[in-house]
Amino acid sequence: MGVQKDRVRFNVGGKIFETTATTLAIAGRDSLFGAMFDENWDLQPNVTSTEHFIDRNPDCFAVLLDLLRTGELYIPSEIPEKLLYREALFYGLLDHVRAARCGPFDGNRLHLERSIMGRAPGDGTAIRAGPDGGCCVAHGSMVHVYDWMLEEHPPISLDYQRVNDAIWIDSESIVISACERLGRDDGGMGLFSASTGELRYKFHVTHDNQVKSYTGGALSFNSDYKLFSSCKGRSNEYGIGVWDQVTGKQIDFFYEPPGWSLGDADKLQWLHGTNCLLVATLFPRKDNCYISLLDFRDKNMVWSWSDVGAPATDERRVRDAIAMEETNSVCVVNEYEDLGFMDLRSSAGIVRWSSRSRLMKGKMPDEPCYPKLALHEGQLFSSMNDSISVFCGPDWVLTSRLRNSHGGSICDFSIGGDRLFALHSEENVFDIWETRSPPIV
Amino acid sequence: MSSGPKKRNFQIEAFKHKVVVDPKYADKTWKILEHAIHEIYNHNASGLSFEELYRNAYNMVLHKFGEKLYSGLVSTMTFHLHTMSKSIEAAHGASFLEELNIKWNDHTKALQMIRDILMYMDRTFIPSTHKTPVHELGLNLWRDNVIHSSKIQPRLLNTLLDLILRERTGEVINRGLMRNIIKMLMDLGPSVYQEDFEKPFLEVSAEFYRAESLEFIECSDCGDYLKKAERRLNEEIERVSHYLDAKTEVKITNVVEKEMIANHMPRLVHMENSGLVKMLLDNKFEDLGRIYNLFRRVPDGLSTIRDVMTSHIRDTGKQLVTDPEKSKNPVEFVDTLLEKRDKYDKIISLAFSNDKTFQNALNASFEYFINLNPRSPEYISLFVDDKLRRGLKGEKEEDIEIILDKVMMLFRYLQEKDVFEKYYKQHLAKRLLSGKTVSDDAERSLIVKLKTECGYQFTSKLEGMFTDMKTSQDTMQGFYAAHAAELGNGPTLVVHVLTTGSWPTQSSITCNLPAELSALCEKFRSYYLGTHTGRRLSWQTNMGTADLRATFANGQKYELNVSTYQMCVLMLFNNTDSLSYREIEQATEIPSSDLKRCLQSLACVKGKNVLHKEPMSKDIGEDDAFSVNDKFTSKLRKVKIGTVVAQKETEPEKQETRQRVEEDRKPQIEAAIVRIMKSRRVLDHNNIIAEVTKQLQSRFLANPGEIKKRIESLIERDFLERDDSDRRLYRYLA
Repeated sequence: MGVQKDRVRFNVGGKIFETTATTLAIAGRDSLFGAMFDENWDLQPNVTSTEHFIDRNPDCFAVLLDLLRTGELYIPSEIPEKLLYREALFYGLLDHVRAARCGPFDGNRLHLERSIMGRAPGDGTAIRAGPDGGCCVAHGSMVHVYDWMLEEHPPISLDYQRVNDAIWIDSESIVISACERLGRDDGGMGLFSASTGELRYKFHVTHDNQVKSYTGGALSFNSDYKLFSSCKGRSNEYGIGVWDQVTGKQIDFFYEPPGWSLGDADKLQWLHGTNCLLVATLFPRKDNCYISLLDFRDKNMVWSWSDVGAPATDERRVRDAIAMEETNSVCVVNEYEDLGFMDLRSSAGIVRWSSRSRLMKGKMPDEPCYPKLALHEGQLFSSMNDSISVFCGPDWVLTSRLRNSHGGSICDFSIGGDRLFALHSEENVFDIWETRSPPIV
Repeated sequence: MSSGPKKRNFQIEAFKHKVVVDPKYADKTWKILEHAIHEIYNHNASGLSFEELYRNAYNMVLHKFGEKLYSGLVSTMTFHLHTMSKSIEAAHGASFLEELNIKWNDHTKALQMIRDILMYMDRTFIPSTHKTPVHELGLNLWRDNVIHSSKIQPRLLNTLLDLILRERTGEVINRGLMRNIIKMLMDLGPSVYQEDFEKPFLEVSAEFYRAESLEFIECSDCGDYLKKAERRLNEEIERVSHYLDAKTEVKITNVVEKEMIANHMPRLVHMENSGLVKMLLDNKFEDLGRIYNLFRRVPDGLSTIRDVMTSHIRDTGKQLVTDPEKSKNPVEFVDTLLEKRDKYDKIISLAFSNDKTFQNALNASFEYFINLNPRSPEYISLFVDDKLRRGLKGEKEEDIEIILDKVMMLFRYLQEKDVFEKYYKQHLAKRLLSGKTVSDDAERSLIVKLKTECGYQFTSKLEGMFTDMKTSQDTMQGFYAAHAAELGNGPTLVVHVLTTGSWPTQSSITCNLPAELSALCEKFRSYYLGTHTGRRLSWQTNMGTADLRATFANGQKYELNVSTYQMCVLMLFNNTDSLSYREIEQATEIPSSDLKRCLQSLACVKGKNVLHKEPMSKDIGEDDAFSVNDKFTSKLRKVKIGTVVAQKETEPEKQETRQRVEEDRKPQIEAAIVRIMKSRRVLDHNNIIAEVTKQLQSRFLANPGEIKKRIESLIERDFLERDDSDRRLYRYLA
């Protein structure tokens, strides 16, 4: 029988642990264990007689060692999550903990993980999921930022102007857009540090070499580090501005053509496949809906749809729109949560409404919220009043419905970092939905 | 004790967020870490406890002493880098780089260990305060305190450049050390590598190669110089692969290219006795390949070579085609052209990597000089004639194709393709009628090539000639089948019925045929006109041949192969022994020039003189007398008596052909004018000239004066009219 040479003995806060160098190697070079057993430090793990003392909490160490051994995270009820996170940060294992925290996102297997009470003064405007499980909530002039541990960070504000949209550029940076204030350079857009809330830089709009103040609207960005925003300037300078995320400099501006709407857009969506930007301006912000696809390379509106001149049966009023690149279509939703589809390859402008029964009709709550749409890995999500519906398959069959008993109607929701965040209109409560880790066998 | 206002029993302290137990806690902890950093730099880390140091660094950050930790790190590391810098400065001579390398390795190792200890700060404090991460900080400090120290920066650069210079002059240097030092500069960031090494390196290299190229060019010929340049280029590429940044390759090769090639192009190309022309003359494929590959690398390099090659081909080609000696033998003339063309083809394919622009230049040059000699079309046709008469015997089919393809290449260069056609027709007619063509396949293959090149029109008459030959064969079979009984033992007649127009026009003076034959001819005429109504036959006695059986006085029998004229003359001697020139002329009515040639070949050619002439002389006089040469002997039973023919056209014949060509061009030019005007309706003079020239250029180069004459002729015949207001405009009249 061979002698196991890579055994390692730890004394953590008085408690003895034994493991192997192989297990510790899972922690990676950028962790305490990786550095500790690097050859630079003369601590060869094969000397089993020596034990390495670590002056830390043994219970948490046990949980983290188990994480390294199995790749799974089980936090005993007597250990507060925050304590464990702090210990993981000490060892350089926080990323491991975050990755093991929940299973891969699946709209049909979501569980309500937590609900968090905001302390905002008024109705929420938007909630946005961060790439690593954090989120930010915009209401009035404030944006509250939560990291993936749901720790609250210093809130963000752009000159205390009313916030219209917020977006996570990466796990460290948030861009918010806000209304301008007359006569001053306030408002517009700014990029903030997510952890400290400090303003890194503001994005300016220049028309004819003159910097102008503006109101920033819907936001989007692409993988080329370009940032897009709908803009309303003082002298009818409406359109879509484009900035470089890295330098903060304006690099382009798509002016709103006459008889169309870009500067007031409710939603921007970058389409990677076609290198185009979807711009949707919807009722009731405007009297009519305008959805278009912009190609910035040759300043061309390559596809457009509008309900101008359509019969005024506002049952079919489009309330939100989302482009689905896999099927070359745009999905729209009306205020009764009927889904409609348009083909991006044809310019016919016909909405093909799905024949789904109107589940919502007739039971409108006191404070209705307009539906919102989201798409995540082939699953379509639609919020309506106090619940979120999940649709799957080529024909978008309703497969799940998420509902929480309190908080009132859902005014916005967002998916990211393996989580779904839903913001309720009453009391600024937001819910966090997660998929649990997969079964053991 | 009296109590006073100063006395206080208790103190009210401001509320503290953090209770720091030991006020000197931070200093103490930092001392431990500082000591550890010292020990790490002193190679004494084995006594340190990683866990303790990690915990201490963690605690400092946790207790908000991150700033102190960070600034402490900066100053401690700076201190050690100063020490290292001093020791590097102190290193003598060659050990300088080695010392620098050792210290760099020490520093990077220490930096890694320090980063290990301060990992928690690196992960939490540094991102939130936007400070430089530890690893990057360590590199920056090394750059600022060591590499950019005033005593090291210039010395390092000079050492590196000196080593490279020594390597260029043939010394062996420590490439491993070079690689490590250059890698260090690259690790410090692209700007450090570029500013501290690459830029000066390129400047020094430019100077070096500028001087070297001047030295080389003074003492070597073009081929050797290019070999040296090529070697230098490869050395630099190799150097980059061994110890420089891969991105430097294109920059340093640009320097070498510019200094060694671009700056000396004209001088190299025109170098006396070794330049490009010499290489072309001597077929130096290797040198030519080198010059091509090197010049390709620099702007205008290839065009320089191409221009020299073009003017060389033009000059030598012009000499060739205008050399009266060469023109004496058309076959040799064309052979020389083909040789020249092969030579350059080979050069372009072997040395110039089949460069399209060079091929085009070659073609343009040939087109230029071939047309300098107005007889080129005739010569090319004569060359083909020669090949198809005899030259192709014994050659394989593929070889025939190759030769024909080459001829077609020359044909393509011709501007006056219609002149070629004229000659070709004459030569083909002779070949067909005298049965001299060796390969029907080769003939047809060339026709197909001409057809693909110039279109159906160009070859329709030539094809008509072949058809006539075939039909005649059938006709003769029919004739003999119909008259088999009556024709028993008489002479055999073979008639080729030629369609007028398809064949070169002939002066149709029919000579008097011997009685035996004229009867036979009459039979054929009636047979032919009986089967084909509405046709007219006339005899072209100047084009036929005859086989005669002759018995001489000494009893010798020979079979003589002669022309129709010769046959007519010889037949006269069946009835008499001697005839004067005038008698012969009267009896046969052969045109005198032809008769003279005919008699010359019968009486004056040694070995074939079946007639005896009085007086004996080379030329035929009007008063000469002829008799059968009874002493005629020949080794062969079959004697072929050729007609003395000028193979090449004589000057008046040439004029005549030329005139016929001009005559034939007139309707073609007129047709082109009418075609153009029909579609354009109104056009000015210059544009008509341009369009007509363009339309006809596949056949010949139309002369603008001739076009003008044709336009005037068309105006006279009411096809066109001049515009009333603008005299330069022509209108088409439907």
